[in-house]
Amino acid sequence: MAEKIKITINDKEVEAVKDSTLLQAVRAAGEKVPTLCHHKDLAPDGNCRLCICEIEEAQGHKRIVTSCNYPVREPIKVWTHSEKVVKHRKLLAEMYLSRWPSARPVKAVAKTCGVTETRFRGDHTDDKEEACILCGRCVRACEEFVIEDIVNFAGRSMHRQVTMPFGEVDPHCIGCSSCAYVCPTGAIKIVDDLNHPADAVKIRNAGMKINAEMARLDPLQNRMRQVGTGNIVDVMDQYDILPVMNYKFGSHPEAKKIYCDVFRNNYWTQNQCDGCWLGCSMACAKATEPFELKTGPYKGQKVIVDGPEYETIAGAANMGCFDPEFAIEYNFYCDTYGIDTISFSTCTAFVMEAFEAGQITTEHTGGLELKFGHTAAALELLHQMAKGEGFGVDVGQGIRWLKKKWVAEYGADERFLQDIGMEVKGLEVSEYVTKESLAQQGGYSMAVKGPQHDESWLIFMDMVNNQIPTFEDKAEALYYFPLWRTWFGLFGLCKIIWNDVVPADNYREKDANKVPGHVRSYFRYVEGMLGIDDMSEEKMLEQSARVYNLQRIICRLLGYGHRKDDYPPYRMMGPVTAEEYESRQDRYDKQLKELVKVDPTAKSSAEKVKILRQYREDQYEQMMDVVYKRKGWTRGGIPTLARLKELGIDLPELVEIVRPYQE
Amino acid sequence: MITVNSKELPWLPGMTVADVLKAMNYSYALIAVSVNDQFIARDDYDTFVVEDEADVKALHICHGG
Repeated sequence: MAEKIKITINDKEVEAVKDSTLLQAVRAAGEKVPTLCHHKDLAPDGNCRLCICEIEEAQGHKRIVTSCNYPVREPIKVWTHSEKVVKHRKLLAEMYLSRWPSARPVKAVAKTCGVTETRFRGDHTDDKEEACILCGRCVRACEEFVIEDIVNFAGRSMHRQVTMPFGEVDPHCIGCSSCAYVCPTGAIKIVDDLNHPADAVKIRNAGMKINAEMARLDPLQNRMRQVGTGNIVDVMDQYDILPVMNYKFGSHPEAKKIYCDVFRNNYWTQNQCDGCWLGCSMACAKATEPFELKTGPYKGQKVIVDGPEYETIAGAANMGCFDPEFAIEYNFYCDTYGIDTISFSTCTAFVMEAFEAGQITTEHTGGLELKFGHTAAALELLHQMAKGEGFGVDVGQGIRWLKKKWVAEYGADERFLQDIGMEVKGLEVSEYVTKESLAQQGGYSMAVKGPQHDESWLIFMDMVNNQIPTFEDKAEALYYFPLWRTWFGLFGLCKIIWNDVVPADNYREKDANKVPGHVRSYFRYVEGMLGIDDMSEEKMLEQSARVYNLQRIICRLLGYGHRKDDYPPYRMMGPVTAEEYESRQDRYDKQLKELVKVDPTAKSSAEKVKILRQYREDQYEQMMDVVYKRKGWTRGGIPTLARLKELGIDLPELVEIVRPYQE
Repeated sequence: MITVNSKELPWLPGMTVADVLKAMNYSYALIAVSVNDQFIARDDYDTFVVEDEADVKALHICHGG
């Protein structure tokens, strides 16, 4: 948040943001200053020197500065067209004109300096219209947009030129075309379009916006380049929605030990290590190298670990483990064994709570003391799972299987296990505490594929922003966002650049949460690939809805597509135990008073848990009805025949599946 | 008293947008703020004074997942 400084520009007093550049301040004041090497999306370089201004600092000292890289930090007087400045600019313009007399940007900028002829002549004149004018924009774009240094300057003085190393085509260049995009003369041209898109320019223009945002805005927003999805650990802990100890709590004093900068400062050494697109300007994937393993078959070896990212780090917190090296070690072994880190951590967190609650004992775990925070026991369980030995064989079957076995064979409390077993449709829940967001509970539980993020992430819209207070509002969000997220899958596009960096003016958009500027860029990209020109929100929703409803029918074929399959375990909806209630007593007591209209005074925690539960379960039921209706499904959660017809997928084989369940 | 995302927050004379965000413990990086339906640029958070009874919206743009 910016401090303002009063400065004087051409004898007029204006306010400038502290640490903004003088060029920004001058232009904001409506004054015109010529530039040649400057580009709005690139770091200022000051090499053309045409943006010079004369300033007088607080001490009365006057001097000439390049305005594009002069930071405003104190009250100063500025003259954009003093006699000295005009004289210097004219001289520069003449020199540029002598070297590149036909380059359009040079001619244009010289004209604004009042120069149309040059007094200078030399042996190095390049009179091509598309001459390289050595502005260095391409060099900066290569470094700043895609974190590469493939294009750079070579040679000195009159022999200075832009080239790749040793004057050869560098195989590391991935043809991102950033250099051509920022080139002011057309000296760099893209001659290949290996994928033969219908409209390559349209695609590049959409893509370059993201590159520029990553270079300029990401450091001020989520720092995806620096810390990737790890930034979410800090956010979740600060907003009380980081899963801690099987989702009992949303934050923990020790969580700071696994904040993203701990990994950045001590462990992560690489960007772009996994299977993402080479040259992606976001490069959110991180890797740890070298990491010496402490356990398992590779104990003592130094390895590269692909991660950890948000879900894996949060999964450690969910097991009550706040040791970053535990997170890295279990990340490595899950990857090596082919085990999903979310399923492992959520399942192990469930086992730990059941163990601490006495539902299972060391007799059942083969001697493993599986308490929250026991990193050694958790890793031993993981190794057992992979080897197919001991208690690991059972835990590898997942929460749904464990619940049944423990109730049937160990006499465990069925209701308690149902409440704390964080799975829906047999899939372990990913790492968000959803108790205070009814919409997110629905997003997870009604998701066709089970409780994962592909069907939206509405916690902040619902819980913090209060943007979707009614059931109808929530239903609309649960209609739009799952379809939008499904659309990424249809086209094989990455979702991360949609909303993990947002345009500077996104806050002015009506539906800011949809990040409309980026939605438009995705549409232009698809149009450019396919040679169409009519992508719209309506068309996107229709394309996705066809697939989404087909998935729901497949879900039904697999035995999960009914209303009964769309209920969350109660831990996802609210506090199961008195311990949980008491940990956030002020919040829950307030809700009882204001929402349920029940006076909590003199009631025991157990009574209050019960009353709050009735209220929340009833809210969920009501929301389900509205969501199903909005999606075009029956009250039982089956797509209606009318909806299939509307989408043009009323194929006989699909109709046959859903017809028996129509109401 | 002002409202922030439909929740009440005691008003203090001279309170700026930055003060409101701090009072709400809003540490999120992607927040768009409006005061009585007027969007406030991030550069102005320190200087824009929130009047009593103002309706403040601090929209957290969802990310992650």
